[in-house]
Amino acid sequence: MIEHLLTPLHYEYMVKAILVSGLIGGVCAFLSCFIILKGWSLMGDALSHAIVPGVAIAWLVGLPFSLGAFIAGILATAGMAFVKTNTRLREDAVIGVVFTAFFALGLLLISLNPSNLNLKTIVFGNILGIARNDLIQVVAISVFALGIMACRWRDLLLFCFDENHARSLGINVRVLHVTLLTLLSAVAVAALQTVGALLVVAMLVTPGATAYLLTDRFGKMLALACAVGAGCSILGAYASYWLNGSTGGCIVVLQTMVFVLALLLAPRHGLLAHHWQRWKSSSPTNA
Amino acid sequence: MNWLTPFQFDFMLRAFGVGILVGTICALLSCFLILKGWSLMGDAVAHAVLPGIVLAWLAGLPLALGAFVSGLFCSVATGFIRENTRIKEDTAMGIVFTGLFALGMVMFSKIETDLHLNHILFGNLLGITQGDLAQTLVVGIVTFVAILFLRKDLLLFCFDASHARSIGLNTRWLYYALLSLLSATIVASLQAVGIILVIAMLIAPGCVARMLTDRFSTMLLLAVASAVVSSVVGIYGSFFINGDTAACIVLTQAFLFVLAMLFAPKHGLVAKKYAAQIALRSLVNPLKGTG
Repeated sequence: MIEHLLTPLHYEYMVKAILVSGLIGGVCAFLSCFIILKGWSLMGDALSHAIVPGVAIAWLVGLPFSLGAFIAGILATAGMAFVKTNTRLREDAVIGVVFTAFFALGLLLISLNPSNLNLKTIVFGNILGIARNDLIQVVAISVFALGIMACRWRDLLLFCFDENHARSLGINVRVLHVTLLTLLSAVAVAALQTVGALLVVAMLVTPGATAYLLTDRFGKMLALACAVGAGCSILGAYASYWLNGSTGGCIVVLQTMVFVLALLLAPRHGLLAHHWQRWKSSSPTNA
Repeated sequence: MNWLTPFQFDFMLRAFGVGILVGTICALLSCFLILKGWSLMGDAVAHAVLPGIVLAWLAGLPLALGAFVSGLFCSVATGFIRENTRIKEDTAMGIVFTGLFALGMVMFSKIETDLHLNHILFGNLLGITQGDLAQTLVVGIVTFVAILFLRKDLLLFCFDASHARSIGLNTRWLYYALLSLLSATIVASLQAVGIILVIAMLIAPGCVARMLTDRFSTMLLLAVASAVVSSVVGIYGSFFINGDTAACIVLTQAFLFVLAMLFAPKHGLVAKKYAAQIALRSLVNPLKGTG
């Protein structure tokens, strides 16, 4: 039985995929805590779509894909900032206009070069067949992002929680703003490899939101989010061997299931706890 | 091959027809979504229809029905999480739609089907069959009529929901009406542009029109005009460069948006710069005169 359950681990590519997914899941989860506090969830969605043309161009001209993706991410962010300051459109419409244009450009480039580029790899990720070079890039990006976040998490927390307060304390908010956007682009590039452009946003939102329901302390929230993110990614990658289905899909479905459990059962902020409190306060013995 | 060649093919003519129809409905709706601040709701609902399509296929029901139910579920679940927990709306939306989309992808990889995931995701405007065409036409026309019929109430609801409530409109009903229209529009657009790029059709035309005018009725007309032009130009262009049709439509729309942003008569960048210069001159000239 145990022997049977361990079969996936006999394949080198599976072990590699499971470990890398776990690493990326953990890093994304770490970042997700800041993202949801800052209210940038949809920025993550937009950036993960906007980096697609960068990946396509980088592959066409033979540059490292992460460089292309990163530049596209920065351009998209700059484009959004420009449109927002120069028109009277609301922020969500601005984000939508810019990222869909970038994504469409990426799709067009891919459709013009069907033999060189594999649409599936970019859009759905391909962690099981990841090339050695890509693997090194992804691990380097993850470690780099993790290092920055671990060093600056107090500043980032203050920035996400209350920008004005951070400014009044003499912290350079502009630098933090750019740091967080850079981290977001970098991590989105790494996650693109695992779950694909369409599901990156789940890795960047769900673990943080799950942890947010479970605790009121930020330190604990970080730890819980990382545990959920890494745990679900490892299990999801493992499960995709048995289901023979999309790895990214499995990881995200697991993360969503954990979120639903937390939503129902969280000790203080869960739905059941809310009902219990309401029932207790309205019951006659209390009055 | 000359410039009339695309019009000699049946499949191209069908593509033009469907592109114009879908572009028109999406453009009408995009004006309301922009006013309401729901632009990204379209993105969420569009992704969320995937599991519904798979389930409907398994149950032998019309795919449009499954997509509609699943899209509606996404928006209702988002609203539920926002109202019952301390999670913000955008985060809730991100969680729900990615969860549904991932579920759809896993289910899709497990069933044997003649559906093509690529066609659902990216559309297949050039390969539309008679059946698809009929479905798009029916859903499209119903949605079109519903939007026109409800446009005054919806406008008030999007612009100022509390005012709408105070004059006795049923805002709860309008909320679900708008959501249903959104889901139906996405269902109708599926065949043409796919669920990934329908979001662009649901944002860009409204943005273009918003740059050009201050009146809502003019905005509706301009949005439709820009969407129709982009659909025709995009489909026509994709024939010659042999690229993805939906992507060409969306890029044409983006190009129109950039044009509008630069050259719009009152709100464009050029006009603003010019106005600033004139204001400066009128300030400086009298000073010169007295000096």
